[in-house]
Amino acid sequence: MLLLKLIQSLIRTLHSEGTPGQLAAGLALGAILGLTPLWNLHNAVVFALILVLNVSFPGAMVGWALFVPVGFLLDPAFDWIGRTLLLETPALRPLWTALYNVPVVPLTGFNNTIVLGSLVFASAVWLPLFFASRWGVGRYRATVAERVKRSALYRAVVASKLYNLYRLFRPEP
Amino acid sequence: MRVAVFRWKAVVPLLLLGAGGLGLWLAFADRIAKRTAESVGTTLVGAQVEIERLHIDLRHARVEIHGLTVASPFEALQNLLQADALVADLDPLPLLEKKVVIDRLTATGLQFGTPRETDGRTGGQADGVMGQMQRWAAQLEVPALQLATGKIRMDRLDPARLSTPRAAAALAARADSARQAWDSRLSGLDAAATVDSARRMVERLRGAKPTDVNLLGDARRTLGQLQQAQDRATALERSVTSGIAELQVGAAGLGDARQRDYAIARGLLKLPGLDAPDMGAALFGSAAVDRFRRALYWVELGRRYMPPGLLPRATPGPRRARGAGATVRFPRAHEEPAFLLKTAELSVQLGAVGAVPPPRTYAASVSGVTSDPALYGQPATASATAPGFRLGALLDHVRPTPRDTAAASLAGVALPPVALPSLPIRLEPGVGTVALTFSVQGDQVRARWTMQSDRVRWMRDPGGSASPSPMGDLVWRVVSGIPTLEVSASLVGSLASPRLAVSSNLDRALAERLRAVAGAQLAVAERRMRAQVDSLVDGHVAPVVAQVTALGGGDLTRRLGGQRAQLDDARKALEQRLRELTRLPGVRLP
Repeated sequence: MLLLKLIQSLIRTLHSEGTPGQLAAGLALGAILGLTPLWNLHNAVVFALILVLNVSFPGAMVGWALFVPVGFLLDPAFDWIGRTLLLETPALRPLWTALYNVPVVPLTGFNNTIVLGSLVFASAVWLPLFFASRWGVGRYRATVAERVKRSALYRAVVASKLYNLYRLFRPEP
Repeated sequence: MRVAVFRWKAVVPLLLLGAGGLGLWLAFADRIAKRTAESVGTTLVGAQVEIERLHIDLRHARVEIHGLTVASPFEALQNLLQADALVADLDPLPLLEKKVVIDRLTATGLQFGTPRETDGRTGGQADGVMGQMQRWAAQLEVPALQLATGKIRMDRLDPARLSTPRAAAALAARADSARQAWDSRLSGLDAAATVDSARRMVERLRGAKPTDVNLLGDARRTLGQLQQAQDRATALERSVTSGIAELQVGAAGLGDARQRDYAIARGLLKLPGLDAPDMGAALFGSAAVDRFRRALYWVELGRRYMPPGLLPRATPGPRRARGAGATVRFPRAHEEPAFLLKTAELSVQLGAVGAVPPPRTYAASVSGVTSDPALYGQPATASATAPGFRLGALLDHVRPTPRDTAAASLAGVALPPVALPSLPIRLEPGVGTVALTFSVQGDQVRARWTMQSDRVRWMRDPGGSASPSPMGDLVWRVVSGIPTLEVSASLVGSLASPRLAVSSNLDRALAERLRAVAGAQLAVAERRMRAQVDSLVDGHVAPVVAQVTALGGGDLTRRLGGQRAQLDDARKALEQRLRELTRLPGVRLP
């Protein structure tokens, strides 16, 4: 069921009215939600950006759903990155100490090895992911999108009730 | 086509979402905080922490906890403490830095050691401290009261550990070497050639005239050679005599080595501790170690969560579906600690409801409990005073070397029963006094535990793990007539290898009785042990003793004596002949 919804969402997103850039930006922002532990203050900021910026909201949801398992898989790597930055890089210690003692910042959980490691990783892959997604969506729309639109599967997806909900957050031209 | 950057129509839903989120948080804040407090508390203590109800009063920056239960990390079905209510007045500003500063905490209805229905221990969740303490306690040697089982055992005797065979082999080598050296020197004397030369000279002198100066000169040289040969023989004889004396001393030393081997073998005998201190350790050592282990557990937890210094500290991250990772704190001078309890006022109830004597309520106070003692600058203290009860504790982690001290004494309370190890006997101390003092400075520990009671009851415990035995009956007869109990245990030394000493008023009485009964068994065991050593040693000692004896009264001295006699005879004969020649007037032997 979850997988079906994901496919449904992916198809709708790829055929939405948004530009490839909007879709790619939403996907890349959603990837941050998926890669980092969800219940942290920085994710509230990312979520607000997804809503307020004119990016594809469905794209963000797809990005989130796609990158949650990746986040789980890469947790050991995130832990290593976080440990290296927090504990084994003396040059950064003054920065962490300053941030740790600034109001609100500790609520982001930046001083957790997995939170910091995953956030650094997500930030590093954000731009490559954005450009790769934009290129991929553009190629898709130029080549196979029309054939998919004529397929029975696409018509079934578009006809579902959830489509109406999607339309509420579809990107504006 | 130009695309708008902002989606302004989403701002209102976002604000509504934020307001909804805030409302949900407010609605569930109590529940979230309760779960967080239970989780953090469980991790810290190493046992289940349960809270019936938690309420956050944002307006007054206050947290109220009702029905707090902390399970014992040591006992399966016992609580460490229960509290009716705790009210914490928080400093709100540090909360923005995820720091908890409690200005004042009041706790009412605190009870210790209450029973519980389920095992609340979590073991490994306390960051491995419990396992660490169990390993620490296991290294403390508590002698077992093995006579209770009526058996004296002996471990296998390893011949390589015995010194007599090695000493015998060395002596044999020395004797061989000395014999060869003496033989060589005896051959080198060449007494036969010297004697033959002297005899030939005597023959030549028979027809000689006193005026034959050359011949007389030759005779004089031959006499000198005889003298030198005699000197060498004398020196050799002296060397042989002293060498043989040394070898005989060595042979006598083999007896001493054998005594040492007896001592080694005696060490392998699994004898019961019949000295009074051993007896005390056997009877109450386990109970004492358990008390010390518990005290050290809290000290170790304190050191782990209240470390000295301002270095970054990593602790396990929060439990969640994703990996926990490690959460690192970065304390900075002149800032608030991550956790600080400035003062706490506790109302403590000691003794169970309905028990005799009835429960009493005491007041206690705690101050300066913090995750960063170096920031707070003051040690954590705890104190409680009441009739018959005294408690004082100080955890000073402000300086680089932590110093933890605690002293507590409790009089007039029901002491917990003590099962005597290896014996089907249980001691119920009744109402008495118990005291514990503990000091850990750096890695040096000094602790003392005492227990006194005037009306002890001794119970046979047939359901226990120890099986009945004649020796167990004997111990029962001895102890069951003793109405008082005084136990004192001390622990001194480094934390890595402390020394445990335990004594009690039972020690001497029990030791004397057991020694009398065990005497015969010990004698038999020692005889067996000596026979085993002899069987391993005799085969090495007898040949070397015979070798030394043979050297002392044998062939070598006879041969040396014979050669000396020949040299003496030849010299006498030559001197006689020369004397005859020099009797002529006017001629003197030079």
